[in-house]
Amino acid sequence: MATTGRLGFTWADHEALYSAAETRALDHWAIDQGGVSGALLMSRAAAATLEQLLGRWPEPGLLQVLCGTGNNGGDGYLVADQAHRRGISAQVLQVGDPAKIGGDALRAREQALANGVAVLPFSPDALQQSGVLVDAMLGTGLGGEVRAPFTAAIDACNGAGLPVVAVDIPSGLCSDSGRILGCAVAAELTVTFIGYKRGLFTLDGPDCCGALEFSDLAVPLEAYRAVAPEWRRLCLEQMLAQWPRRPAMAHKGSFGTVLVVGGDVGMPGAVALAAEAALRSGAGLVRVATQREHLSAIIARTPEAMVTGVRSGQDLQPLLAAADVLVLGPGLGRSSWSQQLLQAAAASDLPCILDADGLNLLAEGRVLARKRREHWLYTPHPGEAARLLGVSTAEVQADRFAAAVRLQEQLGGTMILKGNGSLVVAGDQRLLSDYGNPGMASGGMGDVLSGIVGGLLAQGLEGSAAAALGVCLHGAAADAAAEQGQRGLLASDLMVPLRRLLG
Amino acid sequence: MSPGEACWQVPDEDAMVALGAALADASEPGLVVYLQGDLGMGKTTFCRGFIQGLGHVGAVKSPTYTLVEPYRLGQLDVFHFDLYRLGDPAELEFIGIRDYFTADSLCLVEWPERGVGALPPADLAITIVSAGSSRSVRARAGSVPGSRVLARWQPGA
Repeated sequence: MATTGRLGFTWADHEALYSAAETRALDHWAIDQGGVSGALLMSRAAAATLEQLLGRWPEPGLLQVLCGTGNNGGDGYLVADQAHRRGISAQVLQVGDPAKIGGDALRAREQALANGVAVLPFSPDALQQSGVLVDAMLGTGLGGEVRAPFTAAIDACNGAGLPVVAVDIPSGLCSDSGRILGCAVAAELTVTFIGYKRGLFTLDGPDCCGALEFSDLAVPLEAYRAVAPEWRRLCLEQMLAQWPRRPAMAHKGSFGTVLVVGGDVGMPGAVALAAEAALRSGAGLVRVATQREHLSAIIARTPEAMVTGVRSGQDLQPLLAAADVLVLGPGLGRSSWSQQLLQAAAASDLPCILDADGLNLLAEGRVLARKRREHWLYTPHPGEAARLLGVSTAEVQADRFAAAVRLQEQLGGTMILKGNGSLVVAGDQRLLSDYGNPGMASGGMGDVLSGIVGGLLAQGLEGSAAAALGVCLHGAAADAAAEQGQRGLLASDLMVPLRRLLG
Repeated sequence: MSPGEACWQVPDEDAMVALGAALADASEPGLVVYLQGDLGMGKTTFCRGFIQGLGHVGAVKSPTYTLVEPYRLGQLDVFHFDLYRLGDPAELEFIGIRDYFTADSLCLVEWPERGVGALPPADLAITIVSAGSSRSVRARAGSVPGSRVLARWQPGA
């Protein structure tokens, strides 16, 4: 394996994800530099929403549009107005004090009223139990927690048992973090404009959005060149296209040796899964260092792996000398055996994927010094990330993007924060994978991920490339496996689709 | 061909610009001109000739993104619309489409079929179609002012 000249990917072609501030910058560019009026953006947003809505519900019956008092509400007024004009029965339920409406939104309201659209003040009783609801209450500008009267309107919206179409973003969802700000609309369809908001893809975002559709509102391309996004959404195909085919002259030594270290007494499955995943993602050789009593079980399952029983850190030395990449932590435990292996492994200069109890021991800070290790990759789930940062899991989840960046700043190398919308941070790179599904909430999934990333790293990818490709492959393999159902999905079910995805 | 119609063969871009400029010479305030034809037929080239023919100095950019590009030329307001990216004719009402079409303004509208219902009728409807490597430009008057302008429109004069 070449340790220098590792293969990296370019990220500029992956989809941009925007924060609320970046979205505002796009809007401003379009209006100030691009000459597109705010009114034109508003009417295009309404037309795009209506088009998507009618595509899904060609005969929607009554459209009930819940409008807030900002520009999101203005979009809603124009949805109702445009629907009304087409002969679709539509009414607006105004949430909040209409005296607060100004600018283009006020003109939208006036136009809808002038054209004969019925506008009623919202009350739970005013909601009719038929048709399709349009949520145009709160947009990306929502700062803090949702307050009255929006809480009641969101509850009524969710409780109506009717399909809901959200305009730009479901009300109550934080566009930056994907967190529910007290309560949020659970939409069946969200039509988002100008740029994808990053909160739509992580944490609660996907659940709140339902199906997601996009319209650029014909904003000039120059706007997108002018506003560089911090985060990007990964596309598996683009990465695979950048990964050269194997040369015909290849032999197993060309694709590196992964050493999986872990599997304390009673936990052989974790290392077995990591080893198999490393093999299935193309590593040339995979060795496992584990408790002696696990040898036959692991070999019986994965005869391709070379398994060695180790009693101490000293036993690990010859294996370290023969490895290119370490996967450290699956089933490692926290015993003195675990701690010795961790210390010995960390003393080598090998690129290392630190997972599971490896991360927990690092968080404790006794066995392993907390410092930046640029050639390491870390794969914490939110609980492990919380222990590493010394905060609660809830605090990590409240802003996963910030947590991932902070962790990477502290520990160096490449950070993978797992969860719904896994995040990869390495250097200046900020990447999100929205592959995967809730079926992955089962034991052993993390071991498979660390094995995949190890296998990719051993084949000469650089840290960010191995991490990004690894999380996407992991999620996409689980998506393929979940075609037979999410419940009962096992980590080992990922192996066959994983291999197929890698081609 | 009826008196309210005319047709020209336009061999190249320069000739398309000249045809637009000739219409500018013949036009009068209040005129609404529709321009129909597929992408790449030269509608915007025609508009460039028209707008520059009225005295505009500088580039004429396609208002695909902005929907409308205004020009103030002497006492005349000229509005160049491109409705190609219009999702729904209703969008036009909210940008105040009616304010553009006045007795003192001249309006050129590309892709008018996308704004049906929200646009005033054309005084002059121009259709450009491909004819080998050249273009065939057909104009049809839809009103008395349109017929008057058409009668005055003499390219190459």
